[in-house]
Amino acid sequence: MFTRKKMLVVKSVLFVASAVFMVSCGNNEAAKEETDSKSVVKEDTTATAEVPETSYSLPSPLQIASIFKKSGLKYKSDLTSQMRDPSKYTSSLSKSLNLGVYSGDLSYCVMNKQSQEAMKYMKLCRSLADNLGMGSVFEEANLSKRFEKNLENEDSLAYIIAELQMVTDMYLDENDQQQITSIVFAGAWIESMYIGSKVYEKGKDKSLNNKLAEQMNILGSIINALKAVEKKEATIASLITDLKSIKDIYDALPSIKNAVDAADSDKPMSLTDDEVASLTKRISELRTKFVNGN
Amino acid sequence: MRKIIYISALVGLIVSYGFTTIQTADNCDKKALSEACKKKLEDYKYDSQKYSKINFTDRNVQMEVELPVFIGEKYRLIFNTSSLPKPILITVYSKSKESTKRVPIYTTKDAAAGTTEFVFDAPRVRNMYIDYDVPKEDKDKLSGCVIFMVGYK
Repeated sequence: MFTRKKMLVVKSVLFVASAVFMVSCGNNEAAKEETDSKSVVKEDTTATAEVPETSYSLPSPLQIASIFKKSGLKYKSDLTSQMRDPSKYTSSLSKSLNLGVYSGDLSYCVMNKQSQEAMKYMKLCRSLADNLGMGSVFEEANLSKRFEKNLENEDSLAYIIAELQMVTDMYLDENDQQQITSIVFAGAWIESMYIGSKVYEKGKDKSLNNKLAEQMNILGSIINALKAVEKKEATIASLITDLKSIKDIYDALPSIKNAVDAADSDKPMSLTDDEVASLTKRISELRTKFVNGN
Repeated sequence: MRKIIYISALVGLIVSYGFTTIQTADNCDKKALSEACKKKLEDYKYDSQKYSKINFTDRNVQMEVELPVFIGEKYRLIFNTSSLPKPILITVYSKSKESTKRVPIYTTKDAAAGTTEFVFDAPRVRNMYIDYDVPKEDKDKLSGCVIFMVGYK
């Protein structure tokens, strides 16, 4: 009897030991793979022969709105996205994209002192964030309540949105959901570019033209950032294809093809009206597709 | 008796798994790091932040983060390396590796020993490329994380 019990104990210990061994080996492998995929090993830190794999840090929707505002972008109430029932969006991709679209509208409203509209978009953002399982970020530091209390103070609202962005970034990083950060920004960028290009259509403001061209420079980074997280969500591939269709149009524009080192130059870039129109057309098509949840 | 032994084994397995997971985590208090960086933003508005996990291995490693920025905006970058077990070299460039005109616009090379917070007010550039040079570690397997936060005005 004693021997049988003893055997059972030995078996159990062996079982636990081998399980722990497998778990720790698995973690080491995973850690090793993570290191290998994100960086390039080189024998000498001074050598630059090998190009390391690059990761990306994208700006916030608020900064895009701020840049457009500085360029003289006026508020047009009919350009922001129609407020729809957030439950209409069912896939994670469409929820994230439209959280971005509404974030872009929210930032545009805040930068133009449209506090009541801003409040409505804030609620929509919250609802979509809830649907994505990250509604708790709005509770952090009483952000929702502080937003409501400061509706008449544009500067305070901007700082509250910036803080909300920080809390959201932290949440998504903690939960290993960095792909949502990139998708949300892609949605916000499309919305901001849609608003900017539509306002340009009416006023043909040169400063706005420069800013639209400058914004196109970060499209490559958005696409690359999405490619870096593509494995986490299969539907990202279709978003990359969509965004690439805008970049292909942009790269083929004569003003861009003829510019030397346009991406590295610190001089303002300009596009012709026809060139802006061709970009606007594709951006509008994609924006419609996104807000319709397709 | 058999039941007790099996339950003990199961509990042992769960505890061991949890312990192993904690052991291999990067031991970074991301929230604390973010808060520390935020204090250094001063009158800059928060724009973004990026954590990078750093593993010290038996070979030198280089990592790069691309940061698109906009002409005319003023940027402040704050790096915090306090969660790293040993120093790394941080270098910021305005041009990509493919450019022949790539020169550093910021480096921590000459920073005082023990410094773990670095504040960089960037000049007028269109892009920034942040390179982390991670030195090799022959004896122990060490890991940690580095964060940078971006503010603008």
